[in-house]
Amino acid sequence: MKMDEMLDEMRDVNLNYLMLAQSMIQHDKATAVFRLGITQDVAELVEALTPAQILKLASSGMMVSRLRFDGGAVLNMLTNYTKDRSLAQSHAAILMAAQQAEAFA
Amino acid sequence: MGKKSLLTEMRDTQLAIELIEVGARPQVLESETTLSRERLLKLYKEVKGVSPPKGMLPFSTDWFLTWLPNVHSSLFINIHRYITRNSDCNGIEAVLKSYRLYQEYLHTNQIEAVLSFTRAWTLNRFFESRMLETAVCSDCGGHFVVHPDDLHDKYVCGLCNMPARAGKTRKAKAAAELSAAA
Repeated sequence: MKMDEMLDEMRDVNLNYLMLAQSMIQHDKATAVFRLGITQDVAELVEALTPAQILKLASSGMMVSRLRFDGGAVLNMLTNYTKDRSLAQSHAAILMAAQQAEAFA
Repeated sequence: MGKKSLLTEMRDTQLAIELIEVGARPQVLESETTLSRERLLKLYKEVKGVSPPKGMLPFSTDWFLTWLPNVHSSLFINIHRYITRNSDCNGIEAVLKSYRLYQEYLHTNQIEAVLSFTRAWTLNRFFESRMLETAVCSDCGGHFVVHPDDLHDKYVCGLCNMPARAGKTRKAKAAAELSAAA
């Protein structure tokens, strides 16, 4: 992949992410806070972003979202199908929900 | 208490409708709204089309510690904790939102519901009164519902250390046979 293409795609993903996050927050703040794994303060900041600001953020050459699996445990569980699948999912969900929002701030 | 505010009454009615829709029993409605019992019963019948179930609410903490309910209640309490800690949503609203997220989780993973709304609400009450708490699993680091009086030095959760017969119900066996035959 060429550098330009990659930058373009990153901008698209960022744009999508920020716009989706914004509409989720507008729709239901508390639920969005949980789903996005952020704090209310961050949610309010994202909600208040203007289209111009979103564009600027999106084309900053860095991803604005990041992987939520700090350790390998959750990632392993989500991709590990040897155990009962629905149980592995439940286990992963419990670990994900217990993660601290501060870890992403 | 002076005159009842119309606004409060409207808000409470709206809340009661939402609660009835997710399956709350009259006792939950009575303690979360200011509406009279008669009005709540009437509302219940109108929303559900049937009379509410009678009898007392389950009051034992033990149910939440049995294997499968423990998995589900741990998930619920983790969602609830995240929401109340990271947003200004609290009280019954937070319980309702967490329960909806839990339901959605069941739906996307096609898992059968184990925790009813009334159970979830009871669970939250048990946490508020410290009759239950969470312990950290020494294996996976997850937070799981436990009894405060037990020892949790080297606690290992029911998912890391599955009991031998866990999940092996008659229903699960029938489902496995069905999928093997197909």
